[in-house]
Amino acid sequence: MNEKELAIAARIKEMLSENLRIPAEELDYEIPLFGDGIGLDSVDSLEIIACIDSEYGVAMTGVAKENFYNITSLTKYVVENM
Amino acid sequence: MSNNINARCVVTGLGMVNAIGKNVEECWENALKGTPGIDKVKSVNSDNCYAHLGAEVADENIEINDKVDRVSSLCLQASKEALKDAGIDGNVDADRMGVIMGSCVGGVVSIENYIEKGEKTEDINKMSIASIANHVANMAGAKGVVTNIGNACAASTMSVAYACELIRAGVGDVFIAGGADAFASVPFAGFTALHALSENACSPFNHSNGITLGEGAGAIIVESYEHAVKRGAHIYCDVLSAGISSDAHHITAPRPDGIGQMYAIRRALDKSGVDKKDLDYINAHGTGTAKNDEAEFLSIHTIFDDSNDHLSVSSTKAMVGHCLGAAGAIEAVYAIKALTDNKVPPTIGYSAEDLEALKEKAGKIDFMPNDMKEKELNYVMSNSFAFGGSNASIIFAKNEGKMSESENDEDIYITGLGIVTPVGNGVENYIEKVKGGETITSGNLVSELGKEDFDKFDIKLAFYRKLDKLSTMQVVSGIEAINNSGFTFNDDNAEDFGMIIGTGDGPLTTVYEFQEHISKEGTQNGSAFNFPNTVYNAAGGYLSIKTGMRGYNVTITNGNQSGLASVCYAANEIKQNRAAAMLASGTDENSAVMNKLYTQLGLVSDAKSDIYADEKGMNLSDGSVTIALEKASQADSHSAKKYAKIAGYAMTHECVEYGTVKGSDEGLAKAINEACKDAGINADKIDAVFGFGNGIKDVDDIEKNVYAKVFNKAIPVINVKDYVGEARAAAATLSAAHAALTLAGELGDSQNAYIFNGGEVKKDKVDTKNFEYCLATSYGVGGSYSAVVLKRV
Repeated sequence: MNEKELAIAARIKEMLSENLRIPAEELDYEIPLFGDGIGLDSVDSLEIIACIDSEYGVAMTGVAKENFYNITSLTKYVVENM
Repeated sequence: MSNNINARCVVTGLGMVNAIGKNVEECWENALKGTPGIDKVKSVNSDNCYAHLGAEVADENIEINDKVDRVSSLCLQASKEALKDAGIDGNVDADRMGVIMGSCVGGVVSIENYIEKGEKTEDINKMSIASIANHVANMAGAKGVVTNIGNACAASTMSVAYACELIRAGVGDVFIAGGADAFASVPFAGFTALHALSENACSPFNHSNGITLGEGAGAIIVESYEHAVKRGAHIYCDVLSAGISSDAHHITAPRPDGIGQMYAIRRALDKSGVDKKDLDYINAHGTGTAKNDEAEFLSIHTIFDDSNDHLSVSSTKAMVGHCLGAAGAIEAVYAIKALTDNKVPPTIGYSAEDLEALKEKAGKIDFMPNDMKEKELNYVMSNSFAFGGSNASIIFAKNEGKMSESENDEDIYITGLGIVTPVGNGVENYIEKVKGGETITSGNLVSELGKEDFDKFDIKLAFYRKLDKLSTMQVVSGIEAINNSGFTFNDDNAEDFGMIIGTGDGPLTTVYEFQEHISKEGTQNGSAFNFPNTVYNAAGGYLSIKTGMRGYNVTITNGNQSGLASVCYAANEIKQNRAAAMLASGTDENSAVMNKLYTQLGLVSDAKSDIYADEKGMNLSDGSVTIALEKASQADSHSAKKYAKIAGYAMTHECVEYGTVKGSDEGLAKAINEACKDAGINADKIDAVFGFGNGIKDVDDIEKNVYAKVFNKAIPVINVKDYVGEARAAAATLSAAHAALTLAGELGDSQNAYIFNGGEVKKDKVDTKNFEYCLATSYGVGGSYSAVVLKRV
């Protein structure tokens, strides 16, 4: 990741931690967010979409779910659509 | 007095207000005409939201009472209409008239007002759901069982069902049952965040692209048949049985396989003695979300397709919106009017194209598109399904039914305990603290739960991170109680295991913080993550999801005594054979928000208060305590330890202004006498009281006055608040738990107590080893009391 991507990834991690009560130490940029492990669900994805929209003005409603796979894929989508 | 599990309960009065009318007649005539009540919302700022519609009650149709929240104004209006309709005006025995009201968001309009209009003290007592039934009881002069049910969108179907259960238990003759909810920013923002609002008027069983919120109230006078006949009342119909269940699946979404809904529907049919081929009409939950409509469609088709060739199903929500906690009561009134007038109201909003699509999916069922129909009706059902996975179905019949509920005469035992307190978690920790005489040293106490607690009960991060503090405490105390009891269940009998959660303030902290956020950031910026936790039954919902308990699951809220009323309620469910085992909980949260509100009310002392002595105020605290109750055969099936027997219980009310207790002494005296009578003993047989004094003068005085009158001797009072602070509903349940531990000999041979003698109180050590009967008591502001007699095993 370049510097810009790193900053966005760090901010997304912070939002996940603050808004979805995921302890920061449980999160790295590669860990799968949905399914086992962190175990996010559809309600959480609405929160992620709202956060990314308000922070970066990037709309992710209806976007393919592989973009929500982990913090890296979310970062990539944000960078490409800013 | 009827004391018969299948006693006839009849409806003798109706009241209603919603977007299409200010009384039953208007709401009914407009529903038959298919009048849409949905329009651009006025009371909530939806400017930056994607949806803008709602079904609000017009200003000219609501009698606003400035002293109460809008939700209570709505509820009072419907209740007055129902009482008048029933011809009740001081002509029934007040002690045998109760009030059970359901609500989802309660006084949330007052939370918004408090935050946005100068934090006025007068708004604080309007915030909670708990105030609603109290206001109605005051208006009606009701002094029987008074409480509120907080199971979100199923709340008021449950309130009608509970009222009938209580009549059949013989504890009352007449109940004002129903529910109310007011249009408000919190639900509007929450459903916006969940993308669950429809941009157009909701279209149940049709486009199914979201809900439209509504507001209103429904009130039903439910009465024992003998009582109604004796006073010459007009009888609308019979109320037969209900089915109440929990999905144990997801906090907001229904189970896609409809198992929980189908259990509720089938149980209602079965226990009502109604063959599924004979059901004539269902007023469906029919919210208009894809998930609800698919699950309900599946449930109804699965149950009725093969046998019923004339079933009509409609959703009146297409006209009056989703009135949340009021929905069940409003729809019950619609179902009753349909039954008695032989007219089925329509589901409006179908185009010619929609009608074609409906033909394909309706099968033999008539979904009543657009137009009402005249049809002879004998049996009708109303369905309500809610957040937290709560399901409720109830049946009304034109004539006497053939109910087949059953009762058991087995003893009921306390077989398990779960304790979360600011002085540590777990039963063993509590025993150690009490035996060591470790009392609290200050106020403003907060329970803590961490990884150790979660690991102990195998609660994973993916689960617990969703829970707010209230729900977290509830889940931990609930699982500990199950483990402590050792009862197990499986997929085949999960419906026999249920819970009653009692809470004074519920998720007020979460609701307040949600409102604070949208007040600052706008209605369009509500948190989808936090919204599910704003409903009062979220804690019970999470506990059922975590444990898989799919039985009876109700959250009651009426002040601190909710934590003891939950024990009474749970014991009744076992007695009336709706469960083999029940959890009874009391849970309340302390937080910066709660501390601020109670401090503003002038009720709090941060320094340790000397209960019954210095009148400094309460040491605000929190926690969750759960008691596992089992009938004897169930307890013996796994050789459970029996801490104590539930010998008797009672719930009463004495009307005083909500927020106060002064002058309600008679309510406590009545609760004690009734509980002793239920236990078959004289009050003199009580060896000790596990009381509720908390350092607030008016509260402490009630105990001093009443015990002097009720007991003709010096009586020891043991107070759990010395050990954990004023944990409100949690302390109320703990009083019963502490009494059970005492009777089981777990707390040693002697304890510190307050000896009440006449009006005097002095501290002394009491010998507890020969205690036979213990009495737990609790109070709620507004004058509600619960009392439970426990007996040594």
